Amino acid sequence: MNDRTLNWTPSDDAMVENAIRRGATRRELLHMLLAGGVALTASGAILGRATSAHAATPKSGGHLKAAGWSASTADTLDPAKASLSTDYVRCCALYNRLTFLDKSGVTQMELAESVESSDAKLWTVKLRSGVTFHDGKTLSSQDVVFSLMRHLDPDVGSKVNSIAKQITGVKAVDPLTVEITLANPNADLPTILSMHHFMIVQDGTTDFSKGIGTGAFKLESFEPGVKSVAVKNPNYFKSQGPYIDSFEYFAISDDNARVNALLSGDIHLAASIKPRSMKLVESQPGFVLSQTTSGNYTNLNMRLDMEPGNKADFVTGMKHLINREQIQKSVMRGLAELANDQPVSPASIYYNAELKPKVFDPEKAKFHFEKAGLIGQSIPVVASDAATSSVDMATLVQQAGAEIGMAFDVQRVPSDGYWSNYWLKAPVHFGNINPRPTPDILFSLLYSSDAPWNESQYKSKKFDGMLVEARGLLDQAKRKAIYDEMQVMISEEAGTVIPVFLSNVDALSGNLKGLEANPLGGQMGYAFAEYVWLDA
Amino acid sequence: MSTYVLNLIAVRLLIAALTLLIVSFAVFFATAMLPGDTATILLGQAATPEAVAGLRTAMHLDDPAYLRFLRWLGGFLSGDLGTSYVNNVAVADLIGGRFINTMRLAGITTLFSVPLALTLGITAAMFRGSLYDRAVTILTIGVISIPEFMVATSAVLVFSVYLKWLPALSFANDVTSVWQMLQVYAMPVISLTFVVAAQMIRMTRAAVIDTINTPYVETALLKGASRPRMVLRHALPNAVGPIVNAVALSLSYLVGGVIIVETIFNYPGIAKLMVDGVATRDLPLIQSCAMIFCIGYLSLITLADIIAILANPRLR
Amino acid sequence: MTQSATLSQKFGYRFSWVGMIGLSIMLFWGIIALIAPHIIPHPVGEIVDEDYFGAISSRFWLGSDYLGRDMLSRILMGARYTVGISLAAVSIACFCGVVLGMTAAVVGGWLDAALSRFLDAMNSIPGKLSGLVVVAAVGSSITVLIVTLAVIYTPGAYRFARALAVNINTMDYITVARTRGEGIFYIIRSEILPNITGPVLADLGLRFVFIVLLLSGLSFLGLGVQPPYADWGALVHENVGGLPFGAPAVIVPSLAIASLTISVNLLIDNLPQKIRDRNA
Repeated sequence: MNDRTLNWTPSDDAMVENAIRRGATRRELLHMLLAGGVALTASGAILGRATSAHAATPKSGGHLKAAGWSASTADTLDPAKASLSTDYVRCCALYNRLTFLDKSGVTQMELAESVESSDAKLWTVKLRSGVTFHDGKTLSSQDVVFSLMRHLDPDVGSKVNSIAKQITGVKAVDPLTVEITLANPNADLPTILSMHHFMIVQDGTTDFSKGIGTGAFKLESFEPGVKSVAVKNPNYFKSQGPYIDSFEYFAISDDNARVNALLSGDIHLAASIKPRSMKLVESQPGFVLSQTTSGNYTNLNMRLDMEPGNKADFVTGMKHLINREQIQKSVMRGLAELANDQPVSPASIYYNAELKPKVFDPEKAKFHFEKAGLIGQSIPVVASDAATSSVDMATLVQQAGAEIGMAFDVQRVPSDGYWSNYWLKAPVHFGNINPRPTPDILFSLLYSSDAPWNESQYKSKKFDGMLVEARGLLDQAKRKAIYDEMQVMISEEAGTVIPVFLSNVDALSGNLKGLEANPLGGQMGYAFAEYVWLDA
Repeated sequence: MSTYVLNLIAVRLLIAALTLLIVSFAVFFATAMLPGDTATILLGQAATPEAVAGLRTAMHLDDPAYLRFLRWLGGFLSGDLGTSYVNNVAVADLIGGRFINTMRLAGITTLFSVPLALTLGITAAMFRGSLYDRAVTILTIGVISIPEFMVATSAVLVFSVYLKWLPALSFANDVTSVWQMLQVYAMPVISLTFVVAAQMIRMTRAAVIDTINTPYVETALLKGASRPRMVLRHALPNAVGPIVNAVALSLSYLVGGVIIVETIFNYPGIAKLMVDGVATRDLPLIQSCAMIFCIGYLSLITLADIIAILANPRLR
Repeated sequence: MTQSATLSQKFGYRFSWVGMIGLSIMLFWGIIALIAPHIIPHPVGEIVDEDYFGAISSRFWLGSDYLGRDMLSRILMGARYTVGISLAAVSIACFCGVVLGMTAAVVGGWLDAALSRFLDAMNSIPGKLSGLVVVAAVGSSITVLIVTLAVIYTPGAYRFARALAVNINTMDYITVARTRGEGIFYIIRSEILPNITGPVLADLGLRFVFIVLLLSGLSFLGLGVQPPYADWGALVHENVGGLPFGAPAVIVPSLAIASLTISVNLLIDNLPQKIRDRNA
């Protein structure tokens, strides 16, 4: 696509955020889609072009070096298994998706020419013609069938297996047409297909270390846990980009080292810097920051089926004891948006703006703790560096508790194995949830009675019924009304405190141009490599 | 004497092999005790029971852990390090290049730090109590008291960010000339020297001073030998045992303990590999790295023991 | 003999003031550790400064940390952990290591071989792995922390003490003592120990430094001091982002560590002669 703008500045940031909040374009689009099964192609392309009217002229050439924050021997080029941000960046450079989300959160077509349905249950995907893989083979519907169906195979170990399960069949109608059948109607399918795991690989691929895709770059070398180098794909199907000749990506896990490598000129981009590093980057000339708030959050979970979360007053008390403003201001240094204990972010069109965050009120909290008979007891709170900033949040809660005579015993546990040992298990613990593209996915994964990661063991028949009802609803306004109510239910009834949505900040050298914020995450939704260029 | 040394080495090799076996068992039990396995950890937040079961089958993790361990051990004895659970790459390939990097960094640091430390330690002992001795002591302890990550980060800030003399990252593979090699290795080697030299300096000084106090050295002093000469000729040979042990212990750190330097300078060595292995419960990788660390440590201390025995005629 | 004695006495006398300085700094931190809870100006977990990495000011004598918490309070409380835990751990490690090392050297034979190999094996197990196993098996508490630190540093102390003792063990006076029919305990206590005290104490001083630093490393494995408290090493680590600005939040805890470790080592180097050397 042809997304090009000037460098990121705070005012652009505000502008885009407002646009996302309004969600106007998206709503219109969905409305069109749902009313008449209109393809997303045309409208999307027009919108895409309209927003890039003031673009600078990209320059070709150069070797881009960029550093993420996490790498290990588990690094993979298999999109289904991708789990670290470094995996996403590499996959985005090598492969393409059927659809993708642009900077306003609007679904755009990539390998697909259109994704259409009249009942939101049977979907027809038309592919672009003339797209070739790096090895010269032409993209065909068979590749799409293979790429989607493998998520259902338990041996693959796909990260999105639970989401893919709603797909009951994928059929190649002709070389450029695929039919996807869903178990139940789901109008979100085009958005779901924009998730990084649903990248299109070649039919029959078992060895992913070669990285054969249709993407903007061809893999030159890949060492898991060390680095990868890719060179420009001369036969790329998009008319514009990539601009850089070659792209080197690796991880520097130490935050200060990553920032220092940027400032010393060793790299052009340092992904996801900590709020406390901003002072340093800002003090040096020639560097810019790019901020994204995309629905990632760290939350405090109280299991409703265990002591002390089984006392409703404890949960209510905690929701009033958490000082959201202080977390936003001191822990995140302003790089966060206040949240209201439910997972749908303000960037979503389904966000319930009426639902206000609970006020920090220690006296009210004390009243509830006294009612629950918990004053004087010491409550263990499990935190870990694995869940971003959770140790700092825990100490804030601890301090606020100390002032009203409520003792919290903060237990900082190893990052190692946190997700399998403590998360979902400890009575009071922290979690960290990555953004998901639709409320339906968030609710099904985290809050329905049979949700695999029901963090607080929230069970409500009413909620479950509403979830199924909304998923099948074709009327977007009615759907929004149901989602609004569900957000209130989570905020009031579930045992999860979601204090803020965390922002991601990437730091770039001044000569790296073309990077924009994207709702799918930092580094332009991890796909920056094909859109950016290096100014001399 | 040479048959004596050969015998000694043969016995020590045998014992070393036994130690290796014990360590591999210990590492296996330790890994088995850690909660979570490769499948659950790789899936992370996506670890639904079905997904875990599927991945376990696909990765051949269904066999009991001890069977997998025995299989690894059998392979190891026949020279095969096995295959990583996580990415199906031969462990030997994963370790290969990184092992060379680790050895290169350890080698350069040794060449730099051992002579420096011995010189400082011996001269401090010679002039015990002088201003020089006191300065060496305070500097040594001061330097080692600064956490390693702070030394490394400060060095990067000064030499890379502000002065722009040196690259902030040390990719060993990109080295093509001697000048580049100096640039790439300067900061990691200095940071590591800070860490390992202190123990050698302090122990050398202490051991030499201790032998100065023995009667025969005092006799030499009485006979009118100069203090430096006395230290070099009489005290030093008797202090060799403790000194080589201190050197061996310090250097063993360079094989497996340089994780902080590897992280901050993004230097691809095996310490990081081991950390990755532990994080993903990748048994063949953990075992192979542990064996490398153990072999490195055992060779160093065995060498130290042999030198100590050779240096002290009474121990033979 | 006489020349050496006069030399030592001369130096011993001239040095003692350095030792005194070391001792007073240690005592200072010891007293701070005891009275810290009563003298801290702010609770250690409370965010009192809007800014972060704040400079030294009349309100915050040592500036503020990355969250805006008062550094003075955090350092004063940190003394409790760094001084207390490190001293306890280093004493246990060196006591066990030295006793085992001397015994192995004197008894020799299979005991020596078995002990040496066992401790070598222990030293070969990667620290991170053992740390994680400890957390998984017994959880985290200050006692567990001290024992873990002691266990990690015992093999090193053992190896060094054994190397020293083996050398002494070959001396004529040991052979004399043996032929006199002295027991192992007597030989260790009266003949070996006094002759290796100097290097052993130097080793202890160094091990103390290592333990002070490792303490913060273990807190990242979940084994260390629990929030809101932090030992000095952890304070340096969590505030290292303030290094480019020369923030007191990172400089002051580093200085605190250096002052403590240097003073411990100065004191050891300048102990009165009769403790340090056998000939006095």
